[in-house]
Amino acid sequence: MTLSGRDAYRDELALLGAEDPALLCLEADLGGKGHAFQLAHPERFFNLGIAEGAMVDMAAGLASAGYKPFVSTFAPFAALRAAESLKLTLGYLAAGVTVVAPYAGVSGAWFGTTHHTLEDLAVLRSVPGVTIAAPYGEAEMRAVIREAVRSGKPHYIRTGRNAAYESLDTAAAEGPYEGELPLVNWEFRAGSEDVCLVSVGEEGTRLAMEARLAAPGTAHAHLVYLDHEHLTQAAAELAAHHRRFVVVEEHRAQGGVAEALALLLPRCEVTAASANRSWPSQGGDHAEVMAAVGLDLPAVLAAVDRAGDQALAGAA
Amino acid sequence: MTAVLDAPAELSGDEVQEVLAARAAEARRLVVDMAASPRGCHLGGSLSVLDILIAALHRASAGDGTEVVLSKGHAAAGLYAALYVSGILPENPAPLYGLAGSPYTGHPGPKVPGVRFPTGSLGHGVPYAAGWAMARRIGSLPGLGIAVAGDGELQEGLVWETCQVAAAQRLGNFVLVVDRNGGQNDGMVADISPLPDLAGRFAAFGFDVVETDGHDLAGLTALLAGDRSSATRPLAVIAATVKGKGVPAVEGKAASHYVSIDARRANQWKRAIK
Repeated sequence: MTLSGRDAYRDELALLGAEDPALLCLEADLGGKGHAFQLAHPERFFNLGIAEGAMVDMAAGLASAGYKPFVSTFAPFAALRAAESLKLTLGYLAAGVTVVAPYAGVSGAWFGTTHHTLEDLAVLRSVPGVTIAAPYGEAEMRAVIREAVRSGKPHYIRTGRNAAYESLDTAAAEGPYEGELPLVNWEFRAGSEDVCLVSVGEEGTRLAMEARLAAPGTAHAHLVYLDHEHLTQAAAELAAHHRRFVVVEEHRAQGGVAEALALLLPRCEVTAASANRSWPSQGGDHAEVMAAVGLDLPAVLAAVDRAGDQALAGAA
Repeated sequence: MTAVLDAPAELSGDEVQEVLAARAAEARRLVVDMAASPRGCHLGGSLSVLDILIAALHRASAGDGTEVVLSKGHAAAGLYAALYVSGILPENPAPLYGLAGSPYTGHPGPKVPGVRFPTGSLGHGVPYAAGWAMARRIGSLPGLGIAVAGDGELQEGLVWETCQVAAAQRLGNFVLVVDRNGGQNDGMVADISPLPDLAGRFAAFGFDVVETDGHDLAGLTALLAGDRSSATRPLAVIAATVKGKGVPAVEGKAASHYVSIDARRANQWKRAIK
């Protein structure tokens, strides 16, 4: 059985912790019972309490002294409450600190708007030097964690709540992956004139794969690294194969990946299937709350149709 | 700030205090020079915190891994001067302060030799130092994490968030020195957001607490000299200071918070520094 993103993170870090005594795991009281790293390395696991800013800043102090801290709390609290600490620690100091942020997007669902974050990519993408990843599936999360440890660079890793997805067919899915993941993971290739879905994160990737089944012939490229430097390189590869893209992301359009790609691909047509500008304030499960902000399969298919219509209009 | 000072270790106690006092006086003159720069500087708080910084840097010179973080980063002029007179900064920062191409900005960053963390966005230096102390504790290593904060800075929640964590983690090697000069940007702390029973607050958080004269170099060096590697309660040092200390023209005046002066006045003020 595949693990959810946050469980895969905890398990992989616990495995790596056996090899690397510099790895530390910090939580702000949202790590839950039975944390894999806590069980394996209790002397290097620290629940610092509900103190997100202090946790990130203290991680800077720990990293400065030679440790490799991984800190985790829900995405809204990491990216927004501790935003200044992330700017200084991950950005300006370029400290070897990794922030793992579950509950991204609206995966907090019925917990309400305070537990949603549709803004974290906008915040983190504007901070230079931060590697941003949104892995899909257990294998990809494990590969991202290994790369964060190997590189020593500051990372912000976005994941959902408990949903578990079968990994895409990549080198990472076949076993421990020691290198950086491909810039673009082509889940399905199509002709250069076909619309290409570009999926981001767990739900964006799920929706893109569902859309591809409903609209055969649509290409699908999955991106795991979303910071400016990685996207710049990924954009070149995307443009080498297609001219029309629909980016599917559980984030607002403003500051999201679609907006970034539109700037990076001025000769291409880039549209977004993303969250609208409403504030979801009703209950429901994850998919229902996503639908409430305009992000569901019909919305993705409509975006694909619009992009296809534009292609036809252009051809005429 | 891990550079090692060599001279005082070879001197007697009294001689060390003479050296430190001379450093403090020279540093004050440099701060006045920075007030006379094209940018001016946060003069009052730089002068109030100087003796604390001189003493803390002397403590770090023990070479046991003690790290000093000036959390009230707006007192950057004081920090640069203290680093220079302590032998950590190799060049006189005063002629370069605030100029293009110079790392001596109005709030310090890690491009300055001896500065490890960026501070000045208030509150952050306290957890940086606590994290450093935690690292020493995890590694069973000696050395302190010393944060130097302002009393106005204590209005930041991040300070108290960190105090809660430091006490819970039993970071006895974490020291928070409060430069209590009573002033802040727009006036006096007592008028804007007072700090009643400050010692009691730290004690309630689980800190050891000492109240002292923040200009008594001998007292400060003695307070910071100890090996706290086996202590389990963090230490708060509430140091009473005078804003603008050492320059009679501005001592105790809230208006000394940020000062820009000309060279003639700077020379007058420097001559008055004892």
